[in-house]
Amino acid sequence: MNFLELTLGIMTAVGGFVDISELVFAAQAGSTYGYALIWVFAFATVGIMVFGEMSGRVAAIAKQPVFSLMRHRLGLPLGMVTLLASLISNLITCAAEVGGVAIILHLLTGWAYWIMAIAAILVLIATIWILPFKWIERSYGLLGLFMLVFAVALVKLNPPWGDIGRGFVPQIPPGLSAREMTNFAYFGVAIISAVLFPYEVYFYSSGGIEEDWGEKDLLTNRITCIVGFGLGSLLAIAILSNSALLFGPVLVGPQLPGTAALQPQLAFGRTGLLLALLGMLFAVGGAAVETCLANAYSICQFFGWEWGRHKKPWEAPRFTIAWIALFIIALGIVLSGIDVITLVEFAVLFSILVLPLTYLPMLLLASDKKYMQAHQNGIVANTLGWIYFVAILLAAIAAVPLFFLTSGGQG
Amino acid sequence: MKPEQDIQLLGGLLDLPVIDRDHRYCGAVDDIELEGIGGNTRVKALIVGPGGYRGRLPRWAYAIVRQIAGNHVTHVPWEVIEEIGSAVILRVTADEFGLHRVENRARALLPKAGAL
Repeated sequence: MNFLELTLGIMTAVGGFVDISELVFAAQAGSTYGYALIWVFAFATVGIMVFGEMSGRVAAIAKQPVFSLMRHRLGLPLGMVTLLASLISNLITCAAEVGGVAIILHLLTGWAYWIMAIAAILVLIATIWILPFKWIERSYGLLGLFMLVFAVALVKLNPPWGDIGRGFVPQIPPGLSAREMTNFAYFGVAIISAVLFPYEVYFYSSGGIEEDWGEKDLLTNRITCIVGFGLGSLLAIAILSNSALLFGPVLVGPQLPGTAALQPQLAFGRTGLLLALLGMLFAVGGAAVETCLANAYSICQFFGWEWGRHKKPWEAPRFTIAWIALFIIALGIVLSGIDVITLVEFAVLFSILVLPLTYLPMLLLASDKKYMQAHQNGIVANTLGWIYFVAILLAAIAAVPLFFLTSGGQG
Repeated sequence: MKPEQDIQLLGGLLDLPVIDRDHRYCGAVDDIELEGIGGNTRVKALIVGPGGYRGRLPRWAYAIVRQIAGNHVTHVPWEVIEEIGSAVILRVTADEFGLHRVENRARALLPKAGAL
């Protein structure tokens, strides 16, 4: 195991963990319910560790991308349903991320939102065209580490650590009305969806193949998932906690992504604000790249086309055309006038509906001796996998009624 | 697994990715062409291309695929298969059977500069 590579991999996972949906829902959850939803973040984070590790292991051992194996395992019709569902979910998520980048650029420069959206797409396309896979992943992930300012701000603000610690214990705040309880449940479902977004495992496992993982990388995969995603989740929890501390008592609803950047500003002034905006810019920009590439990977792997950014763009031409086209469609959605928060809400709603279709095949593949040989799921991975699959299924069933009952978390 | 070994045809082959001698992806096993009858049935070729979805998707879904991608197919003779595992590996290049026709057309649309 190469420790430099491992450290970089972990740091990349930390910097790339938070995306626009986690930013929005963590900030809102903290201001609305204090520390009471921290346990949902922790619960969902163990889920993404479990399924992320499985997807990396499948890539390393079966040596084939998840979507190829998924089609082989599920058959053409069900495989195609899974493909279409994940394409729609990831595209909406990608549009939300692009909108988020445009808002942050607008806050940084003062230029019009639509101009920043177009500029963001051009820069994102140029990044993927110019840089090979590892550089793309590392540059956004490592620059996303500016997000650490949220954690440092939390320490500086000297929060009630005991209350934060108690937030890790599953709970429902006492004294909620039926309406507030429904809203609390919606936030819980939305956080599970945001942490377990389908694109994350598609991108992660495809990245494993881009980097030519093999049996020797299994330990690195496991450590990266557990430590990287774990520390990344602590960042999201820091945003939630800052929000509970700063926004909740003064009844500020930090719906706009930019509002969260005020947390470090209150701790460190203008420098804190700038670092927070830069961290958000690279973290959300990285998520835009991941969602777009995840869709292009899925299409190409399903149909057996050349794919991957370890190749030059013209060496995998249909893959290249796919990700450029997907970015342009995402830009079209952003420029259509749908606001970012609505896109975020639709992204988490569609994603939670797709999650069972994403994670069941993953579970079946990772348990299949034919593909995995001696590295099929053990009892711990299988037990956790099925527990999380049931939880995801229940969340998916509850998602649509909760969305309409709460008008997308508006109470 | 070598191609001469008995395999469970439908479960073992259908929908596997196809990779050529140069390790390039060149489609998926969309259908299988058989020859012979009864106990002498054997695989004649793999069918690669959206036309292979016919009969495997509901009629309305196939009509949509056909509108978008056409119904062309390429027959890959059984004899050119090197290995079957989590993918079908060919002992020939994709271009020998025209499996990269669309890929080559798409390549012509892209500039070939500027990437590290």
